Amino acid sequence: MNFQRIPVLQLGPYLLVTIQGTLDDRTALTLQEDLTKKVEKTGARGVLIDISGLDLVDSFVGRMLYTVTAVMKIMDTETVVVGMQPAVAMTLVELGLTLKGALTAMNVDKGMELLRRRLRDGTPDFTAR
Amino acid sequence: MSESAADCASKPIFQETLIGNEADLVAVRYEVRKAAKEVGLGLVDETKLVTAVSELSRNCLVYGGGGVAQMEIVHTHDRVGVRVTLVDQGPGIADLKRAMENGYSTGKGLGLGLPGSRRLAHEFEIDSIVGLGTRVSIIRWKT
Amino acid sequence: MTDFDALTPVIHVWDGVLAVPIVGTLDSARSQVVMEKLLVGLVKSGCTVAILDISGVPTVDTEVALNLLKTVDAARLMGAECIISGIRPEIAQTMVNLGIDLKEVKTRASMARALEEALTTLGLKVVPTSEVTPT
Repeated sequence: MNFQRIPVLQLGPYLLVTIQGTLDDRTALTLQEDLTKKVEKTGARGVLIDISGLDLVDSFVGRMLYTVTAVMKIMDTETVVVGMQPAVAMTLVELGLTLKGALTAMNVDKGMELLRRRLRDGTPDFTAR
Repeated sequence: MSESAADCASKPIFQETLIGNEADLVAVRYEVRKAAKEVGLGLVDETKLVTAVSELSRNCLVYGGGGVAQMEIVHTHDRVGVRVTLVDQGPGIADLKRAMENGYSTGKGLGLGLPGSRRLAHEFEIDSIVGLGTRVSIIRWKT
Repeated sequence: MTDFDALTPVIHVWDGVLAVPIVGTLDSARSQVVMEKLLVGLVKSGCTVAILDISGVPTVDTEVALNLLKTVDAARLMGAECIISGIRPEIAQTMVNLGIDLKEVKTRASMARALEEALTTLGLKVVPTSEVTPT
């Protein structure tokens, strides 16, 4: 199986990660490492994880998202998961996966807006609980 | 194919995929989607089915030491669906009752595997004998 | 078999706000239709707030409450917040008796109050025209 490295892009003061296709342990771990390194290098306070291209989110992917959010939190960085597909959202609630602790938004634009509001004045926003 | 006790006739469209590594999990998901589309399951039903199979086949690989995924289209007199069966010859599950309860996990998981998959399926059957292996079978009907 | 789809309107009542009046029982089959229509509606409209009005739901038992919570959670996963409105006094009573905890879900007695709350969430408020200085 070909190893794919997920690129971490800089989007203004934030970082953007687009997850597509299938994830495996190695890809997930590498992504975490790349993210932490880039956060340290750029001082980014927010990370956007775009999953609009994922038509499947199981507990493995859920675990990865949870871990990334937790690691980012330790580095004082907010994570926003954006673009979840309706069928995936319906499946996750049935599965009992809540993506606790991660902020969510409909798309990258709304995600950036959310980060701006949140990081500027600490206004509480609804989060995925 | 002969009719089972559940009055369920399976069409001779039968797909068997070996599960030996991560790449096989991708293949299994692909086959399930194919069967789901063939039956005409809607997107939500298909997603639930593939997600459940993803959980179960990962269990098969990680805890069961690998095994096989069997896929078939099933019919009753008034409905059609997809049945996926995962079989492994792993250690088996000692406390099946507990494993079906929420929050149980021996690995470093979220403990969501079995109960979650059960919720995503219309029919769910599990047999496990310690030392022999595990067999999980789920059906998602077309709604 | 009733056509649930036609009985589940999703109304774009304001910029950023969807209203979903639920009429009839909210059993598991129905709630799947409501959920799907709501979520697809959120994507199409780009709304971030949805009002689920249950004044037309005759009884709320544990199953219905669970279905409502699932719908709220699903919308949250997509970055939208839900406000449940139209909770009749009997329903509120039943929920307390059954020990149903709507947790952090916002609730309002009427659709009107829910709309007001939705606008507040979006940083908007309605004022009389006399109070608006002409540009």
